[in-house]
Amino acid sequence: MQRTKTVFLVDDDIDDQEIFSTALGRADRSVNCVFSSDGIDALEKIKNELGFIPDLIFIDLNMPRMNGKECLINIKKIERLKDVPVYMYSTSADTASIAANMELGAVDFIVKPSNIHDLTAILKKILQNQLFLLCLFIVFFATVPAGIFAQKSLPAVAALKRLSVEELMNIEVTSVSKSPQKLTEVASAIQVLTDEDIRRSATTTLPEILRLAANLQVARAGSHDWSVTSRGFNGAPIANSSLADKLLVMIDGRTVYNPLFGGVYWDAQAALKENIDRIEVVSGPGGTLWGANAVNGVINVITKNAKETQGLSIGASYGSYLRDGFSIRYGSHIDSTFFFRIFGQRWDYNSSKYTDGTYANDDWSFNRGGFRMDYMPSAKNQFILQGDLYGGDEDKNDSTQINGQNVMARWTHVFSERSNLSVQTYYDRTWRNIKPSHLTDEINTFDIDLQHSFKILRRNRLTWGAGYRVLKDATVSLANTFTPPTRTLELFNGFIQDQVTLMPKRLELTIGTKLLHNDYTGFEWQPSGRLAWTPTEEHTIWAAVSRAVRTPSRFDADITSFTLVNHPAFKSEEVLAYELGYRVHPNDKINVSLATFYNRYEHLRSFDTTGNPAAAVVFGNNLRAKSWGFEISGNYFITNWWRIRTGYTYLNKEFKLTAGNTLPGTKSIEAVDPVNQAMLQSIMDLPKNIEFDLLGRYIGKIPKDVYTNEIPAYFSLDLRVNWTYRFLSLGISVQNLTDDSHLEFGNREIPRSIHGRIGLRF
Amino acid sequence: MLLLCTTISLRAQSTPEYQLKAVFIYNFTRFVDWPPTAFESYNDDFVIGIIGNDPFGQALEATVEGETIGRHAIRIKRFQDVKQIDHCHILFINSNDPPEIKNIISDLNNRNILTVSDAANFARMGGIIGFFTDKNKIRMQINGDAAKNARLSISSKLLSVAQVL
Repeated sequence: MQRTKTVFLVDDDIDDQEIFSTALGRADRSVNCVFSSDGIDALEKIKNELGFIPDLIFIDLNMPRMNGKECLINIKKIERLKDVPVYMYSTSADTASIAANMELGAVDFIVKPSNIHDLTAILKKILQNQLFLLCLFIVFFATVPAGIFAQKSLPAVAALKRLSVEELMNIEVTSVSKSPQKLTEVASAIQVLTDEDIRRSATTTLPEILRLAANLQVARAGSHDWSVTSRGFNGAPIANSSLADKLLVMIDGRTVYNPLFGGVYWDAQAALKENIDRIEVVSGPGGTLWGANAVNGVINVITKNAKETQGLSIGASYGSYLRDGFSIRYGSHIDSTFFFRIFGQRWDYNSSKYTDGTYANDDWSFNRGGFRMDYMPSAKNQFILQGDLYGGDEDKNDSTQINGQNVMARWTHVFSERSNLSVQTYYDRTWRNIKPSHLTDEINTFDIDLQHSFKILRRNRLTWGAGYRVLKDATVSLANTFTPPTRTLELFNGFIQDQVTLMPKRLELTIGTKLLHNDYTGFEWQPSGRLAWTPTEEHTIWAAVSRAVRTPSRFDADITSFTLVNHPAFKSEEVLAYELGYRVHPNDKINVSLATFYNRYEHLRSFDTTGNPAAAVVFGNNLRAKSWGFEISGNYFITNWWRIRTGYTYLNKEFKLTAGNTLPGTKSIEAVDPVNQAMLQSIMDLPKNIEFDLLGRYIGKIPKDVYTNEIPAYFSLDLRVNWTYRFLSLGISVQNLTDDSHLEFGNREIPRSIHGRIGLRF
Repeated sequence: MLLLCTTISLRAQSTPEYQLKAVFIYNFTRFVDWPPTAFESYNDDFVIGIIGNDPFGQALEATVEGETIGRHAIRIKRFQDVKQIDHCHILFINSNDPPEIKNIISDLNNRNILTVSDAANFARMGGIIGFFTDKNKIRMQINGDAAKNARLSISSKLLSVAQVL
């Protein structure tokens, strides 16, 4: 009887494990496959199971914690395994790393084929050649030494031969490094800002950094106020801040939109620029997985693991609009599993001016400090604990004060290569006192979320989760009162999503729904279906239909003033979104993404007359809208020292009042957005460690409406030049280089800003 | 967490130029169709010829070893003179002398041979595929008329990644 062969696969990617085991099953039914999720896990298994001697070992080259090369070295040290053939594999390969792995004792190097059939063919060949290899070995020693030449170069050639012509065209014949990026084939309009994109811009604050995402509408309403949205619906300014309320914004999993009005107080949201790992910006509904506010988009700011921010780093800035800025960060570790960092930052911004040239007196200063700890005791467990606190003084005589504190903990556990769990909890307090409008608002939020993902029935990846949030606010205002002034709001949610692989690496269907319960409107469903088709590795076409809701905020339901009556029966706003997208990366140098959308909104907030002159207005749900448009973005690696990011967004919309008592200007409370906007970022490395970076933005005209002024179209150019010498870096940044000042939102002009920065890094 | 951006860092290191070109030439066998008249029998050898000094060393041999094209085994032949070329499907012309190149091409007289070279402007001189290097990477120029005259059909996949004249 034939002995069952055992193949040992070391790969961290669950999808790849699945594809590999399917291909292996097709290549030879009698083969038994054992998995390990990374190098450390594999070595533990080998150490613990002394009888474990696989017939073949396959190791993925790129794995976290211990890469494939180290894993290979360690396996080759183990006496009982030293004769087991080891195959290295990777999605891409360069000849140097192939050669290096061969020298370390790998039999061959496999470039992961793009489809399961090719992989099956390769595995079949390998399994059949087991015996053949031994014969070859004997022949090899018996033949003349001249044969050594051909044999020696053969493995590298074999790897090269598996590459497509396009891949061959990307192999360099001299030594130059490049780092292209590949987005996973997610069926959504996602744009990712990398730490390098962010670092290489003249921006200082978080909302400014968001200007780098071409699928966001970002407008600065004054020195400390911003309005940020995606796919439109930047509501008209009230007290010069925006009513944009259809975006979910998270910083390391912590939701930062304010339940008072469903929007974000951007002056209180900060992240030390050097700590940001990446920002994922999804335009379009994210309601199924994310929270309740993801009607038009999701912004997810992810900071770096403390392991990546070790050492001391200090930065000091001085300039015109940004009058001064300072940051300090220190990272260290206790052992190889426990890393931490602490940081502090401050800035002081000058006032903006009204169009007539007088100061708006909105200068402000902001201080923030925080920490993060990452503890990774094993491959299966990861703990994060982080927190920060901030305070700021704004406007004339510091008449507005803000402060806040938060702490977040997350535990991620990997049960097996097929299943993982993450539990996260946070506590957040924000406080704001606006003296001129006699508004004091304090919000305490506690949140706990659980998420579990596992593979089932070969082709399904199921993700489910549950969450609970409780928040208590105390809002005291003279002009507007909230009825009641204090509220405790509870939010329960559960979601389930199934990612079905209809054809491996070709066709993926994702369906799911979120069910949430809130105190105003009870249960709300947010289902979505997404289909991604990847006909070849270069192209992805995707389509999605989703429904999302914005549950009422305190502003919608509870506000009462001399002219407004509260409306406790305010309904959730709804959107039904249809999306179609295309993503292409013809080669390593270029990637382009196009997303089109058609959204239908129901029950949008409207200003309705009551017929009662004592309380003339009430918020209703009598506005309907549709919007359509597209977002196009691209990355172009022109040379290894010059890269360009670019994007263009077209957005149009139409409103309809559904009740006779709705005020005609009601739509400007919902949406004032440019139809056209374009962005181009140029990132250039000049000789002698000089970085020369530009950001050009064109924002189209925003027409006048009942409650808003016309904002003329503007073009703005930012410049950043930086020189690094060992631990020292000197830089100069100019924002708004080409004009003295311009309007972006509301009535305050944003001036040209010049600042210099000294950085030290040890 | 769920929307991941995987950064694939490729650190491309130096590859011997002719090893890479050998793999390109081998790849051409999959993207070019020869007319049936190019072979004398169904199991006739497929010949890759080199005229002029051989820059490949053992790279071509190593690349095609054990490979077949349909039922045709692949053989590497080295020629000193164009008159020696009796049976050949791909011909690598190693020369930097334009008159010499033009003479070789005209002597081949539109036979069903895929001519390849890394001489400057090879495709403009009537050759079929010319290699050139752009920013350390191998690029191709293809002369569609020359291919048509030699009755070779080149797949659109190859044409799409090359400069077509």
